[in-house]
Order: sequence, then structure tokens, then C-alpha cells
Amino acid sequence: MNILRAVMTKELLDGVRDKRALMSAFLFPFLAPLFIYGLMTLVIEQNTKSERITLPVIGAEYAPTLIERFVENGFIIETFEGDAEAAVTAKTVDLVLEIPSDYQSTMAHFEKTELTVIHDGSRNDTRATVRQVRSLIQGYSSELTALRLISRGVSPKLVRGVQTRNGDIASDEQKAANFLSFVPIYVLMAAFVCGLGLAIDQTAGERERRSLEPLLINPVQRLDLIFGKCLAASIVGTAGMLITLGMCLGAMLLLPIDELGIRFSLQWDQVFWLVIAILPIPFLASSLQLLLGLFAKSFKDAQSYVGFLVFIPVIPSLLMNFLPFATQFWMYWIPVFGQSILMKEILGAEPVTVLAYPAAALPTLLLGLGVCWATSRLLNQERVIQS
Amino acid sequence: MIEVAGLKKSFGEVTALRNVSFTASDAKVTGLLGHNGAGKSTSLRILYGLVQPDLGYAKIDGTNVSEDRVLAQSKLGVLPDGQGLYQRLTPREHMRYFGRLHGLTEDIIEARTTELIHLLDMAAIADRRTQGFSQGERMKVCLARALVHNPKHIVLDEPTNGLDVMTTRKVRELIAELRMQGLCVLFSSHLMYEVSKLCDEIVIMAEGRVAVQGTPAEILESAKERTLEDAFVTLSERVVLS
Repeated sequence: MNILRAVMTKELLDGVRDKRALMSAFLFPFLAPLFIYGLMTLVIEQNTKSERITLPVIGAEYAPTLIERFVENGFIIETFEGDAEAAVTAKTVDLVLEIPSDYQSTMAHFEKTELTVIHDGSRNDTRATVRQVRSLIQGYSSELTALRLISRGVSPKLVRGVQTRNGDIASDEQKAANFLSFVPIYVLMAAFVCGLGLAIDQTAGERERRSLEPLLINPVQRLDLIFGKCLAASIVGTAGMLITLGMCLGAMLLLPIDELGIRFSLQWDQVFWLVIAILPIPFLASSLQLLLGLFAKSFKDAQSYVGFLVFIPVIPSLLMNFLPFATQFWMYWIPVFGQSILMKEILGAEPVTVLAYPAAALPTLLLGLGVCWATSRLLNQERVIQS
Repeated sequence: MIEVAGLKKSFGEVTALRNVSFTASDAKVTGLLGHNGAGKSTSLRILYGLVQPDLGYAKIDGTNVSEDRVLAQSKLGVLPDGQGLYQRLTPREHMRYFGRLHGLTEDIIEARTTELIHLLDMAAIADRRTQGFSQGERMKVCLARALVHNPKHIVLDEPTNGLDVMTTRKVRELIAELRMQGLCVLFSSHLMYEVSKLCDEIVIMAEGRVAVQGTPAEILESAKERTLEDAFVTLSERVVLS
């Protein structure tokens, strides 16, 4: 126990004094949520453009009632003259509504009346506007149809046919959790990113500066050395992970996501359970990094190997997004995967059985212990000592 | 007392040690002399528990290193090949870390640190980070951390390699001082004059074998040569030819 503490304090002191490495390690927890906040704000803004939309129209004079309907709905109508397609291509206008000159006559004869919305379907920023214009015209059209039917003594219900009713069972919180699925990815990634520098410095770095040999001459069990090093790296990883969690949750609360029709609220007990759920991850992350760090031939080698580990937390979230499945209890047993599920469920305010926490924590910790043991065995190999 | 018997070790195709046996007694300085690649470092690494021998054993005060590595290591103070230090720690912190790894209490570490700072004349650098230390200053830190637990056996692998005259002198004085205290000192070198000046006993190694062990006078006698340098060459060649 004393040995473990001695190794841990030394490695932490050494790590904390390496200001540059520490700065780069903690760039992630602070920058990633900020980046996400900016990105999400943009997404929300584009989806909920509420300012008055200017609509360039060709032939507005042919359909005064329709135009009036647009104006009632907050559109600013602008007469457009010239080549509509060229203007849309040149991005001088977002879209153009073209009303044919025979609008009145086709209407009067109950013939098909066609309006054209000229737009660029490859642009993301105009998609919402186009959709709005289309649905407004559609609404206007079905009202018109209904009136025509009534005037002939036919109930409009007759043409309704099959209708769908919205039976969305997801709660607003669940929708928010889905929308914000980046949070588990970033938080778990932070556990892998922040302790990384220290883990490499303690293994590949220790060998490269030739201090591994003097260290191993000391009368201590090699498992104690590895545990001490692993704990030091995981303390740094935990700090980074918790900062990332705090920043991400803060960003979520600040984001105006209710404008998307979804709600996100956070209770203190959710935060508590989130922390409990993810706490075992840095230990596993550090143990894997130490193993690879010792396995690598040089410091640089180690950096590239260990860098790949950072993608581990991305896999469960990708799976959850692209292969939807119902949570089975055994899924909690899989390290990193279990924690990802837990985070998603807690953020979505879904009921989680208390047993899920140890079910996710134990395999993760056991795997970490196993990796530490394997790493300590590696120290017995002469190849590892000789640089 | 350090005892090494019948060591054999191969790394893949390369045979580093064929048959190495020697002893180093208490209150004596024993020098391990040989060309580069003669097997000195491998023998020492087996002795301090970093390399497992294929055959034979190394014992420190009767403790077999392969059987109880931790107990054997606790009796040893080692200055290994290479001087790896932690750049962001001070010499005092180096001593504290190694003292703790040896299971010493904080009081003893404190007392011993003060003692070593005085002995190695390093008061001026004791609380500076080791980054940018000169070769001599680094050597002092390495020696201090090797001696912090007051070991009865000292093993030094090429201790004066790459040192300036002043530091080399200091190291030699220290070796003499340690012998005076009754310690068992074993060091390796490829420098003839250094070994002849300091050692009570000399072990000459060549090609992974021990050519001869004895006092300087005995070695001259067995080689039938007038100087130790000639004796070293003759005895080394004898091993190569055999």
C-alpha cells in the first residue's frame, strides 16, 4: 500500500510539473464542449429560423389570395423579375415561387394549377424555408378543395381517406438525449485523452530516458509499480472526464434546444448517477494505455498506438445510433458499452435499475486489473527493459 | 557477500554468458574487468534481478536472486548502466522516491538524504530540478538514490564512464570510503588503471567467461606478466583461443 502511494504521488508530481503536456491534455475538456455548443447553436438556428422570410415571387398579381395567405404567415413578398434559376444558382436569392399567368383561369375551370418552387436542393440552409413554403401552399390547397366539395354538398371527410395520428412514445427528455448523443462520446473520450500523456510518459518515456532500469532494481512487486502508475494516470483522466461532463451538461442547459420541440432538464441526482456510472472508465483507459506504452518501441511509437484507443468510446454510440436495439441487461456487462448505455438512459431520464451500475462497473474494473497484471508481467521481459 | 556461480545466458541466437562464476567479499572492492561485450553488464543485470539466467545462480548474502528477488534487491545498492533521471524532480525528491520504494520511514529518508547530500557534496543542487544537470551532477544524483537505503552491497556498472576528472576522482574516493565502512563493493570497468588502483580483487571476463579471479599480484603471477595491462591482454586471449 505504501509502495503504491509512493509511486502514485511521484508520478502525479512529475505529471503536474509537466505544464506543457498538462495544458495539451486539458485542451480537450474545455474545447470540445465549446465547439459542440457552437455547432449545436447553428443547427438549432437553422432548424427554427423564425425571422420573417423574404419570398421572391414571379407573377404575384395572378394569385392575390394566396399571396395574402403568405403575408398573414409572416412572409415578405418581393416581386422577382429575370432568370430565376440563374439567381438561385448564383445564391442571390434562396428560392423563387413562380405563379403561372393562367392561374386564375385554371382555378375557375377547376383544372390542375401548378406552382413552381425553384430552389437548390443541395443547400442545407434553405431546406427549412422551402419546406415551409411547400406546406403553406399545401394547406391552402386542401382548404380550397374542402370549400369546393362543400359547395357541391359533399363532406370534405370523404376525401380524407387514411390519416395518421402522431403516436410518438418518446418523452421530450428522451428525444433530447438522442439529439445530444455526443455527450457520452465526448465524456468517455476525455477519460482516454486526458491521462494519455502521463501514461505514455510513465512507460515509453521512462524507458526512453533510461530510468526504467533503476526503477525496477528497487525491491518492490512489479504489480505495485503498475498499479501506482495506473492510478496516477487515471486520477488525471478522471479530472479531465469530470470537467468534460460538467462543461457538456452546462452547454446542454444553455442551448435553446426547447426551440426544437424537445426538452432537457437536469436534476442533481442525475448528475450524481452519471458520475457513478462513468467513474470506472479512466482506470480501464489508463491500464490499456500503460500496456501499449510499454509494448511500443519508442515514445513516438507509443503515441500513435495509444492514440487509436481514443476511438473506443465512439464505437458504442455509433452502434446505438445506427443499429437501434432495446437494452438487454447483459449489455451492461460490456466495458465502455455499458457506461454509454447508462449515460444515455440517465440523460433521457429513463428508469435505470440500481443493479445496472455494478453490472457495468465490475467487468470494467476487472478488465482494468487484468490489463495491469499483464503489464506487470511484461516488465519481467528483458526485451522491455533494454531500450 | 555476493556470489555468482555457473551463469549461462543467451538472447536468442546470441550467447552472452557461457559460464560465469565469481565472488565479491565484504569490506573489499572487487572489479569486474573486460572488453565491451565480454558479458559484464549481463552478469550484473542477473545479479540485480532484471534478467533471468538460463543456468546458474546469483546470491546476495545467501539470498538467491531468482528465488526471492525482492529480498535480494533490498540488500543491494545499484548504479546501473545509463543515468536515467526524472527531469522534473529534484535530487532530494529522487532520494525520497527511492527511499519510499525501499520501504524506509520518512524520518530515516530525511536523515539519510541530509547525510548523502553532505557526503556527495551536492548541497547547491539538492533542490534544483535535474533538467540541464551536467554529467557529474547527474552521476551524484544516481549515486545518492542508489545509496539512500544504506545497502550493505554496492554494485556499480561502469561508474566513471564519461565523467570528467574531478567527478571520476570523487567517485573513486567514494568507493574507497564505502570499503572503509565494511561494505561489499562490486564494480565493472574496462579501464585497466582504474581497476588496478582501486581493487582488492579483480575478475577478468572475456567472451562470456571468467578468465581469472584473484588479487592483482595473483593475476600477474598466473599470466606471467609484469604489468596488469599485459596480464589482461594475455588472459583475455587465452580465453578466446581456448
